[in-house]
Amino acid sequence: MKAARGRKSGEQSKFEIEYAAALREYAMGGGEAVLGQAYELGRRAIAERKSLLELVSLYHQILRGLFESSPDRSSQEHLVSAGADFLSECVSPYEMAQRGFQDAVKALRQLNETLEEEIKRIAYSVHDQAGQLLVAVHLGLANLAQELPEARRQQIHEIEELLNEVEKQLRRYSHELRPTILDDLGWIPAVRFLAEGVSKRANLPIHIEAKISGRLPGTIETTLYRVVQEALNNAVKHAKAKNVWIRAWLKDQVLHCSIRDDGAGFDAQAAQAARGRKGLGLIAMRERLSAIGGTLWIESSQKHGTELLIKLPMEDNHVNSSSAS
Amino acid sequence: MSRVEIRVTITSDQDIVLARQKGRSLALELGFSSGDATLIATAISELARNIVSYARRGEIVVKDVQGSSRVGIAVTASDNGPGILDVGQALRDGFSTSGSLGLGLPGVRRLMDEFEIFSKPGQGTKVMVKKWRP
Repeated sequence: MKAARGRKSGEQSKFEIEYAAALREYAMGGGEAVLGQAYELGRRAIAERKSLLELVSLYHQILRGLFESSPDRSSQEHLVSAGADFLSECVSPYEMAQRGFQDAVKALRQLNETLEEEIKRIAYSVHDQAGQLLVAVHLGLANLAQELPEARRQQIHEIEELLNEVEKQLRRYSHELRPTILDDLGWIPAVRFLAEGVSKRANLPIHIEAKISGRLPGTIETTLYRVVQEALNNAVKHAKAKNVWIRAWLKDQVLHCSIRDDGAGFDAQAAQAARGRKGLGLIAMRERLSAIGGTLWIESSQKHGTELLIKLPMEDNHVNSSSAS
Repeated sequence: MSRVEIRVTITSDQDIVLARQKGRSLALELGFSSGDATLIATAISELARNIVSYARRGEIVVKDVQGSSRVGIAVTASDNGPGILDVGQALRDGFSTSGSLGLGLPGVRRLMDEFEIFSKPGQGTKVMVKKWRP
Protein backbone atom coordinates (compact mmCIF):
# COMPACT_ATOMS: atom_id res chain seq x y z
CA MET A 1 0.00 0.00 0.00
CA LYS A 2 2.76 2.37 0.95
CA ALA A 3 4.69 1.56 -2.18
CA ALA A 4 1.65 2.16 -4.33
CA ARG A 5 1.07 5.61 -2.87
CA GLY A 6 4.64 6.77 -3.01
CA ARG A 7 5.15 5.72 -6.61
CA LYS A 8 5.54 7.99 -9.56
CA SER A 9 2.98 7.39 -12.25
CA GLY A 10 4.13 5.03 -14.96
CA GLU A 11 6.35 3.08 -12.64
CA GLN A 12 5.12 -0.45 -12.00
CA SER A 13 4.85 -1.95 -8.55
CA LYS A 14 6.06 -5.43 -7.73
CA PHE A 15 2.45 -6.49 -7.47
CA GLU A 16 1.60 -5.16 -10.90
CA ILE A 17 4.59 -6.88 -12.47
CA GLU A 18 3.66 -10.21 -10.90
CA TYR A 19 0.04 -9.73 -11.85
CA ALA A 20 0.90 -9.01 -15.48
CA ALA A 21 3.25 -11.99 -15.66
CA ALA A 22 0.64 -14.35 -14.22
CA LEU A 23 -2.10 -13.16 -16.53
CA ARG A 24 0.19 -13.50 -19.53
CA GLU A 25 1.20 -16.97 -18.47
CA TYR A 26 -2.38 -18.07 -18.01
CA ALA A 27 -3.36 -16.71 -21.39
CA MET A 28 -0.54 -18.74 -22.92
CA GLY A 29 -1.95 -21.95 -21.54
CA GLY A 30 -0.91 -21.97 -17.90
CA GLY A 31 -3.30 -24.19 -15.96
CA GLU A 32 -4.51 -24.54 -12.40
CA ALA A 33 -1.10 -23.52 -10.99
CA VAL A 34 -1.51 -20.04 -12.47
CA LEU A 35 -5.14 -19.86 -11.31
CA GLY A 36 -3.86 -20.68 -7.83
CA GLN A 37 -1.44 -17.83 -8.24
CA ALA A 38 -4.24 -15.54 -9.40
CA TYR A 39 -6.10 -16.43 -6.24
CA GLU A 40 -3.05 -15.67 -4.09
CA LEU A 41 -2.63 -12.34 -5.85
CA GLY A 42 -6.23 -11.45 -5.06
CA ARG A 43 -5.66 -12.44 -1.47
CA ARG A 44 -2.56 -10.28 -1.31
CA ALA A 45 -4.43 -7.37 -2.87
CA ILE A 46 -6.94 -7.53 0.00
CA ALA A 47 -4.20 -7.69 2.59
CA GLU A 48 -2.58 -4.65 0.98
CA ARG A 49 -5.96 -2.89 1.04
CA LYS A 50 -6.14 -2.52 -2.71
CA SER A 51 -9.60 -1.60 -3.83
CA LEU A 52 -11.47 -3.99 -6.06
CA LEU A 53 -11.79 -1.31 -8.72
CA GLU A 54 -8.06 -0.79 -8.67
CA LEU A 55 -7.57 -4.51 -9.24
CA VAL A 56 -10.09 -4.67 -12.07
CA SER A 57 -8.60 -1.66 -13.78
CA LEU A 58 -5.15 -3.22 -13.54
CA TYR A 59 -6.58 -6.37 -15.10
CA HIS A 60 -8.17 -4.41 -17.89
CA GLN A 61 -5.01 -2.52 -18.64
CA ILE A 62 -2.94 -5.69 -18.91
CA LEU A 63 -5.55 -7.58 -20.89
CA ARG A 64 -5.77 -4.75 -23.38
CA GLY A 65 -2.01 -4.90 -23.93
CA LEU A 66 -2.20 -8.64 -24.52
CA PHE A 67 -5.23 -8.22 -26.75
CA GLU A 68 -3.51 -5.70 -28.99
CA SER A 69 -0.54 -7.96 -29.48
CA SER A 70 -2.69 -11.01 -30.26
CA PRO A 71 -2.01 -12.11 -33.82
CA ASP A 72 -5.49 -13.24 -34.86
CA ARG A 73 -9.13 -13.49 -33.98
CA SER A 74 -9.02 -16.96 -32.49
CA SER A 75 -6.18 -16.12 -30.13
CA GLN A 76 -8.11 -13.00 -29.10
CA GLU A 77 -11.14 -15.14 -28.32
CA HIS A 78 -9.01 -17.48 -26.30
CA LEU A 79 -7.50 -14.53 -24.43
CA VAL A 80 -10.90 -13.13 -23.49
CA SER A 81 -12.16 -16.40 -22.07
CA ALA A 82 -8.89 -17.18 -20.27
CA GLY A 83 -8.94 -13.64 -18.90
CA ALA A 84 -12.42 -14.18 -17.48
CA ASP A 85 -11.25 -17.29 -15.59
CA PHE A 86 -8.23 -15.47 -14.30
CA LEU A 87 -10.21 -12.44 -13.18
CA SER A 88 -12.88 -14.41 -11.35
CA GLU A 89 -10.14 -16.32 -9.58
CA CYS A 90 -8.43 -13.23 -8.25
CA VAL A 91 -11.73 -11.60 -7.33
CA SER A 92 -12.84 -14.67 -5.41
CA PRO A 93 -11.10 -13.64 -2.15
CA TYR A 94 -13.02 -10.36 -2.38
CA GLU A 95 -16.23 -12.36 -2.57
CA MET A 96 -15.22 -14.15 0.61
CA ALA A 97 -14.32 -10.90 2.34
CA GLN A 98 -17.50 -9.20 1.17
CA ARG A 99 -19.63 -11.97 2.67
CA GLY A 100 -17.74 -11.43 5.89
CA PHE A 101 -18.52 -7.72 5.85
CA GLN A 102 -22.18 -8.40 5.16
CA ASP A 103 -22.28 -10.60 8.23
CA ALA A 104 -20.47 -7.98 10.25
CA VAL A 105 -22.90 -5.25 9.24
CA LYS A 106 -25.84 -7.47 10.10
CA ALA A 107 -24.32 -8.24 13.48
CA LEU A 108 -23.65 -4.57 14.11
CA ARG A 109 -27.25 -3.65 13.40
CA GLN A 110 -28.47 -6.41 15.61
CA LEU A 111 -26.13 -5.20 18.32
CA ASN A 112 -27.53 -1.68 18.08
CA GLU A 113 -31.03 -3.04 18.55
CA THR A 114 -29.97 -5.22 21.46
CA LEU A 115 -28.21 -2.29 23.08
CA GLU A 116 -31.29 -0.13 22.67
CA GLU A 117 -33.44 -2.83 24.29
CA GLU A 118 -30.95 -3.14 27.12
CA ILE A 119 -30.93 0.62 27.67
CA LYS A 120 -34.72 0.60 27.75
CA ARG A 121 -34.70 -2.18 30.30
CA ILE A 122 -32.18 -0.45 32.56
CA ALA A 123 -33.99 2.87 32.29
CA TYR A 124 -37.21 1.11 33.26
CA SER A 125 -35.64 -0.63 36.25
CA VAL A 126 -34.08 2.56 37.49
CA HIS A 127 -37.23 4.56 37.07
CA ASP A 128 -40.11 2.26 37.88
CA GLN A 129 -38.77 -0.54 39.98
CA ALA A 130 -36.48 1.56 42.13
CA GLY A 131 -39.27 4.13 42.30
CA GLN A 132 -41.70 1.54 43.71
CA LEU A 133 -39.20 0.46 46.31
CA LEU A 134 -38.78 4.06 47.35
CA VAL A 135 -42.53 4.43 47.76
CA ALA A 136 -42.47 1.42 50.09
CA VAL A 137 -39.65 2.99 52.08
CA HIS A 138 -41.64 6.22 52.34
CA LEU A 139 -44.65 4.33 53.69
CA GLY A 140 -42.51 2.47 56.17
CA LEU A 141 -40.99 5.67 57.40
CA ALA A 142 -44.38 7.35 57.71
CA ASN A 143 -45.61 4.47 59.86
CA LEU A 144 -42.51 4.63 61.96
CA ALA A 145 -42.86 8.38 62.38
CA GLN A 146 -46.33 7.98 63.88
CA GLU A 147 -44.97 5.81 66.63
CA LEU A 148 -42.16 8.16 67.47
CA PRO A 149 -42.20 11.15 69.78
CA GLU A 150 -42.43 14.54 68.13
CA ALA A 151 -38.72 15.29 68.67
CA ARG A 152 -37.59 12.25 66.63
CA ARG A 153 -40.05 12.89 63.80
CA GLN A 154 -37.94 15.73 62.54
CA GLN A 155 -35.13 13.24 61.89
CA ILE A 156 -37.46 11.03 59.91
CA HIS A 157 -38.52 14.05 57.94
CA GLU A 158 -34.91 14.76 57.03
CA ILE A 159 -34.47 11.19 55.83
CA GLU A 160 -37.58 11.60 53.71
CA GLU A 161 -36.12 14.72 52.14
CA LEU A 162 -32.99 12.78 51.22
CA LEU A 163 -35.09 10.02 49.73
CA ASN A 164 -36.92 12.57 47.60
CA GLU A 165 -33.59 13.75 46.33
CA VAL A 166 -32.57 10.17 45.50
CA GLU A 167 -35.81 9.70 43.62
CA LYS A 168 -35.29 12.87 41.62
CA GLN A 169 -31.77 11.83 40.67
CA LEU A 170 -32.86 8.35 39.66
CA ARG A 171 -35.58 9.79 37.49
CA ARG A 172 -33.10 12.09 35.80
CA TYR A 173 -30.64 9.25 35.10
CA SER A 174 -33.42 7.15 33.73
CA HIS A 175 -34.61 9.89 31.39
CA GLU A 176 -31.13 10.59 30.18
CA LEU A 177 -30.64 6.93 29.38
CA ARG A 178 -33.80 6.80 27.41
CA PRO A 179 -36.41 9.51 27.60
CA THR A 180 -39.90 8.13 27.96
CA ILE A 181 -40.89 11.14 25.88
CA LEU A 182 -39.29 9.34 22.95
CA ASP A 183 -41.87 6.58 23.19
CA ASP A 184 -44.73 8.75 24.36
CA LEU A 185 -44.41 11.90 22.26
CA GLY A 186 -41.81 11.18 19.58
CA TRP A 187 -38.29 12.11 18.62
CA ILE A 188 -38.72 15.88 18.25
CA PRO A 189 -40.05 16.41 21.80
CA ALA A 190 -37.34 14.00 23.00
CA VAL A 191 -34.68 16.05 21.22
CA ARG A 192 -36.12 19.22 22.81
CA PHE A 193 -35.95 17.56 26.21
CA LEU A 194 -32.38 16.44 25.59
CA ALA A 195 -31.32 19.83 24.27
CA GLU A 196 -32.77 21.50 27.34
CA GLY A 197 -30.63 19.34 29.61
CA VAL A 198 -27.47 19.67 27.52
CA SER A 199 -27.98 23.40 27.17
CA LYS A 200 -28.24 23.82 30.93
CA ARG A 201 -25.33 21.57 31.78
CA ALA A 202 -22.95 22.90 29.14
CA ASN A 203 -24.18 26.47 29.28
CA LEU A 204 -24.68 26.36 25.52
CA PRO A 205 -27.64 27.92 23.71
CA ILE A 206 -29.32 25.34 21.50
CA HIS A 207 -31.83 26.70 19.02
CA ILE A 208 -34.43 24.30 17.77
CA GLU A 209 -36.69 24.79 14.80
CA ALA A 210 -38.77 21.79 13.85
CA LYS A 211 -41.39 21.95 11.13
CA ILE A 212 -42.43 18.38 11.47
CA SER A 213 -45.23 16.81 13.40
CA GLY A 214 -46.59 13.32 13.68
CA ARG A 215 -44.94 10.08 14.56
CA LEU A 216 -42.57 7.70 12.82
CA PRO A 217 -41.94 4.01 13.46
CA GLY A 218 -40.11 3.35 16.74
CA THR A 219 -36.76 2.23 15.32
CA ILE A 220 -36.59 5.30 13.09
CA GLU A 221 -37.39 7.70 15.92
CA THR A 222 -34.83 6.04 18.16
CA THR A 223 -32.17 6.24 15.46
CA LEU A 224 -32.83 9.92 14.77
CA TYR A 225 -32.72 10.64 18.48
CA ARG A 226 -29.44 8.76 19.00
CA VAL A 227 -27.77 10.45 16.04
CA VAL A 228 -28.80 13.92 17.24
CA GLN A 229 -27.63 12.95 20.73
CA GLU A 230 -24.20 11.95 19.40
CA ALA A 231 -24.00 15.14 17.33
CA LEU A 232 -24.80 17.23 20.39
CA ASN A 233 -22.21 15.34 22.42
CA ASN A 234 -19.61 16.10 19.76
CA ALA A 235 -20.55 19.77 19.66
CA VAL A 236 -20.16 20.04 23.43
CA LYS A 237 -17.09 17.86 23.86
CA HIS A 238 -14.93 18.58 20.84
CA ALA A 239 -16.21 21.64 19.06
CA LYS A 240 -16.32 24.12 21.95
CA ALA A 241 -19.30 25.68 20.24
CA LYS A 242 -21.04 28.87 21.37
CA ASN A 243 -24.31 28.04 19.68
CA VAL A 244 -25.99 24.99 18.25
CA TRP A 245 -28.87 25.04 15.81
CA ILE A 246 -31.07 22.03 15.27
CA ARG A 247 -33.50 22.20 12.39
CA ALA A 248 -35.85 19.56 11.09
CA TRP A 249 -38.06 19.85 8.06
CA LEU A 250 -39.71 17.82 5.37
CA LYS A 251 -39.01 18.51 1.71
CA ASP A 252 -40.00 16.40 -1.29
CA GLN A 253 -40.90 13.46 0.93
CA VAL A 254 -37.46 13.56 2.49
CA LEU A 255 -36.99 14.26 6.16
CA HIS A 256 -34.09 16.64 6.76
CA CYS A 257 -32.47 17.28 10.08
CA SER A 258 -29.50 19.57 10.41
CA ILE A 259 -27.33 19.96 13.49
CA ARG A 260 -25.02 22.92 13.10
CA ASP A 261 -22.56 24.52 15.47
CA ASP A 262 -20.19 27.50 15.39
CA GLY A 263 -17.38 25.63 17.06
CA ALA A 264 -13.88 24.60 16.12
CA GLY A 265 -14.70 22.37 13.15
CA PHE A 266 -12.52 19.55 11.93
CA ASP A 267 -11.32 17.78 8.82
CA ALA A 268 -14.36 15.61 8.15
CA GLN A 269 -12.63 13.37 5.66
CA ALA A 270 -9.62 12.74 7.85
CA ALA A 271 -11.80 12.09 10.87
CA GLN A 272 -13.80 9.47 9.05
CA ALA A 273 -10.75 7.82 7.57
CA ALA A 274 -9.02 7.78 10.93
CA ARG A 275 -9.62 4.85 13.17
CA GLY A 276 -9.76 7.06 16.22
CA ARG A 277 -12.77 7.40 18.46
CA LYS A 278 -13.99 10.49 16.71
CA GLY A 279 -13.95 8.76 13.34
CA LEU A 280 -15.74 5.80 14.84
CA GLY A 281 -18.49 8.02 16.18
CA LEU A 282 -19.16 9.44 12.73
CA ILE A 283 -19.01 6.01 11.13
CA ALA A 284 -21.41 4.65 13.75
CA MET A 285 -23.86 7.52 13.09
CA ARG A 286 -23.71 6.90 9.38
CA GLU A 287 -24.14 3.16 9.88
CA ARG A 288 -27.14 3.62 12.18
CA LEU A 289 -28.75 5.88 9.62
CA SER A 290 -28.06 3.61 6.70
CA ALA A 291 -29.82 0.80 8.61
CA ILE A 292 -33.05 2.81 8.28
CA GLY A 293 -32.30 4.02 4.76
CA GLY A 294 -30.93 7.43 5.70
CA THR A 295 -27.74 9.28 4.85
CA LEU A 296 -25.46 11.64 6.70
CA TRP A 297 -23.72 14.65 5.18
CA ILE A 298 -20.92 16.23 7.12
CA GLU A 299 -19.55 19.64 6.44
CA SER A 300 -16.94 21.07 8.69
CA SER A 301 -14.35 23.77 8.48
CA GLN A 302 -12.28 25.53 11.03
CA LYS A 303 -13.91 28.87 10.26
CA HIS A 304 -17.52 27.88 10.02
CA GLY A 305 -17.96 25.09 12.51
CA THR A 306 -19.69 21.84 11.73
CA GLU A 307 -22.96 20.90 10.13
CA LEU A 308 -24.36 17.42 10.09
CA LEU A 309 -27.27 16.89 7.76
CA ILE A 310 -29.45 13.83 8.08
CA LYS A 311 -31.61 12.93 5.11
CA LEU A 312 -34.19 10.22 5.34
CA PRO A 313 -36.62 9.47 2.52
CA MET A 314 -40.11 8.94 3.91
CA GLU A 315 -42.25 6.10 2.78
CA ASP A 316 -45.81 7.07 1.93
CA ASN A 317 -47.27 5.60 5.07
CA HIS A 318 -45.00 7.72 7.22
CA VAL A 319 -45.83 10.98 5.58
CA ASN A 320 -49.59 10.78 6.02
CA SER A 321 -49.49 11.77 9.63
CA SER A 322 -46.42 13.96 9.41
CA SER A 323 -47.06 16.62 6.82
CA ALA A 324 -44.87 19.69 6.86
CA SER A 325 -46.39 22.85 8.23
CA MET B 1 -23.40 -42.42 -1.28
CA SER B 2 -20.64 -40.86 -3.21
CA ARG B 3 -19.42 -42.13 -6.52
CA VAL B 4 -16.19 -40.21 -6.78
CA GLU B 5 -13.59 -39.71 -4.10
CA ILE B 6 -10.27 -38.03 -4.78
CA ARG B 7 -7.51 -37.80 -2.20
CA VAL B 8 -4.66 -35.35 -2.43
CA THR B 9 -1.80 -35.37 0.03
CA ILE B 10 -0.87 -31.83 0.96
CA THR B 11 2.68 -30.92 1.82
CA SER B 12 3.46 -27.98 -0.45
CA ASP B 13 2.01 -25.20 -2.56
CA GLN B 14 2.10 -27.49 -5.62
CA ASP B 15 -0.19 -29.92 -3.80
CA ILE B 16 -2.59 -27.07 -3.11
CA VAL B 17 -2.77 -26.48 -6.85
CA LEU B 18 -3.53 -30.16 -7.46
CA ALA B 19 -6.27 -30.19 -4.80
CA ARG B 20 -7.82 -27.06 -6.30
CA GLN B 21 -7.78 -28.60 -9.74
CA LYS B 22 -9.41 -31.82 -8.55
CA GLY B 23 -12.05 -29.92 -6.63
CA ARG B 24 -12.80 -27.57 -9.49
CA SER B 25 -13.13 -30.28 -12.11
CA LEU B 26 -15.35 -32.42 -9.88
CA ALA B 27 -17.53 -29.39 -9.18
CA LEU B 28 -17.91 -28.70 -12.90
CA GLU B 29 -18.62 -32.37 -13.55
CA LEU B 30 -21.38 -32.28 -10.95
CA GLY B 31 -22.98 -29.36 -12.71
CA PHE B 32 -21.87 -26.42 -10.57
CA SER B 33 -21.52 -23.11 -12.41
CA SER B 34 -17.99 -21.96 -13.10
CA GLY B 35 -18.47 -19.18 -10.54
CA ASP B 36 -19.38 -21.71 -7.87
CA ALA B 37 -16.51 -23.95 -8.97
CA THR B 38 -14.19 -20.99 -8.41
CA LEU B 39 -15.57 -20.48 -4.91
CA ILE B 40 -15.06 -24.18 -4.18
CA ALA B 41 -11.46 -23.92 -5.37
CA THR B 42 -11.13 -20.89 -3.12
CA ALA B 43 -12.36 -22.84 -0.10
CA ILE B 44 -9.91 -25.65 -0.92
CA SER B 45 -7.10 -23.09 -1.16
CA GLU B 46 -7.87 -21.73 2.30
CA LEU B 47 -8.16 -25.18 3.87
CA ALA B 48 -5.01 -26.48 2.21
CA ARG B 49 -3.17 -23.32 3.11
CA ASN B 50 -3.94 -23.93 6.77
CA ILE B 51 -2.54 -27.46 6.48
CA VAL B 52 0.71 -26.22 4.92
CA SER B 53 1.13 -23.37 7.40
CA TYR B 54 0.14 -25.10 10.65
CA ALA B 55 0.46 -28.87 10.20
CA ARG B 56 2.89 -29.06 7.28
CA ARG B 57 1.32 -32.31 6.12
CA GLY B 58 -2.24 -33.41 5.64
CA GLU B 59 -4.82 -34.51 3.17
CA ILE B 60 -7.67 -33.01 1.17
CA VAL B 61 -10.46 -35.32 0.06
CA VAL B 62 -13.06 -34.17 -2.43
CA LYS B 63 -16.12 -36.21 -3.21
CA ASP B 64 -19.64 -35.89 -4.46
CA VAL B 65 -22.60 -36.06 -2.10
CA GLN B 66 -25.82 -37.56 -3.38
CA GLY B 67 -28.72 -36.34 -1.28
CA SER B 68 -32.26 -37.61 -1.79
CA SER B 69 -33.15 -34.67 -3.98
CA ARG B 70 -29.93 -32.79 -4.45
CA VAL B 71 -26.32 -33.10 -5.43
CA GLY B 72 -23.39 -31.51 -3.75
CA ILE B 73 -19.67 -31.57 -3.24
CA ALA B 74 -17.87 -32.33 0.01
CA VAL B 75 -14.34 -31.28 0.86
CA THR B 76 -12.56 -32.70 3.88
CA ALA B 77 -9.25 -31.33 5.07
CA SER B 78 -7.49 -33.34 7.74
CA ASP B 79 -4.09 -33.27 9.36
CA ASN B 80 -2.25 -34.59 12.38
CA GLY B 81 -0.79 -31.22 13.22
CA PRO B 82 -0.82 -29.37 16.52
CA GLY B 83 -4.61 -28.93 16.46
CA ILE B 84 -6.56 -25.89 17.55
CA LEU B 85 -6.81 -25.00 21.22
CA ASP B 86 -9.94 -22.91 20.91
CA VAL B 87 -12.03 -23.78 17.87
CA GLY B 88 -14.62 -21.08 18.57
CA GLN B 89 -11.88 -18.49 18.58
CA ALA B 90 -10.41 -19.77 15.32
CA LEU B 91 -13.77 -19.24 13.67
CA ARG B 92 -14.08 -15.67 14.83
CA ASP B 93 -13.19 -13.03 12.27
CA GLY B 94 -10.87 -11.00 14.39
CA PHE B 95 -8.75 -13.90 15.61
CA SER B 96 -6.17 -14.13 12.84
CA THR B 97 -4.84 -11.64 10.34
CA SER B 98 -6.55 -13.39 7.45
CA GLY B 99 -9.72 -13.76 9.51
CA SER B 100 -9.92 -10.05 10.12
CA LEU B 101 -10.02 -9.63 6.35
CA GLY B 102 -12.89 -12.10 6.11
CA LEU B 103 -10.59 -14.84 4.77
CA GLY B 104 -9.34 -18.03 6.45
CA LEU B 105 -11.68 -20.45 8.20
CA PRO B 106 -14.44 -17.86 8.81
CA GLY B 107 -14.29 -17.08 5.09
CA VAL B 108 -14.56 -20.74 4.12
CA ARG B 109 -17.60 -21.12 6.34
CA ARG B 110 -19.34 -18.33 4.46
CA LEU B 111 -18.56 -19.72 1.03
CA MET B 112 -19.93 -23.17 1.74
CA ASP B 113 -23.38 -24.37 2.82
CA GLU B 114 -22.23 -26.69 5.57
CA PHE B 115 -19.21 -26.48 7.79
CA GLU B 116 -17.96 -28.79 10.51
CA ILE B 117 -14.70 -28.72 12.37
CA PHE B 118 -13.13 -31.16 14.82
CA SER B 119 -9.90 -30.34 16.52
CA LYS B 120 -8.08 -30.97 19.75
CA PRO B 121 -4.64 -29.82 20.79
CA GLY B 122 -2.13 -32.50 19.81
CA GLN B 123 -4.66 -34.48 17.83
CA GLY B 124 -4.82 -32.66 14.56
CA THR B 125 -7.67 -30.94 12.81
CA LYS B 126 -10.44 -32.09 10.51
CA VAL B 127 -12.62 -29.66 8.61
CA MET B 128 -15.55 -30.94 6.56
CA VAL B 129 -17.43 -28.60 4.24
CA LYS B 130 -20.22 -29.13 1.77
CA LYS B 131 -21.78 -27.10 -0.96
CA TRP B 132 -25.05 -28.03 -2.61
CA ARG B 133 -25.75 -27.40 -6.24
CA PRO B 134 -28.44 -24.72 -6.46
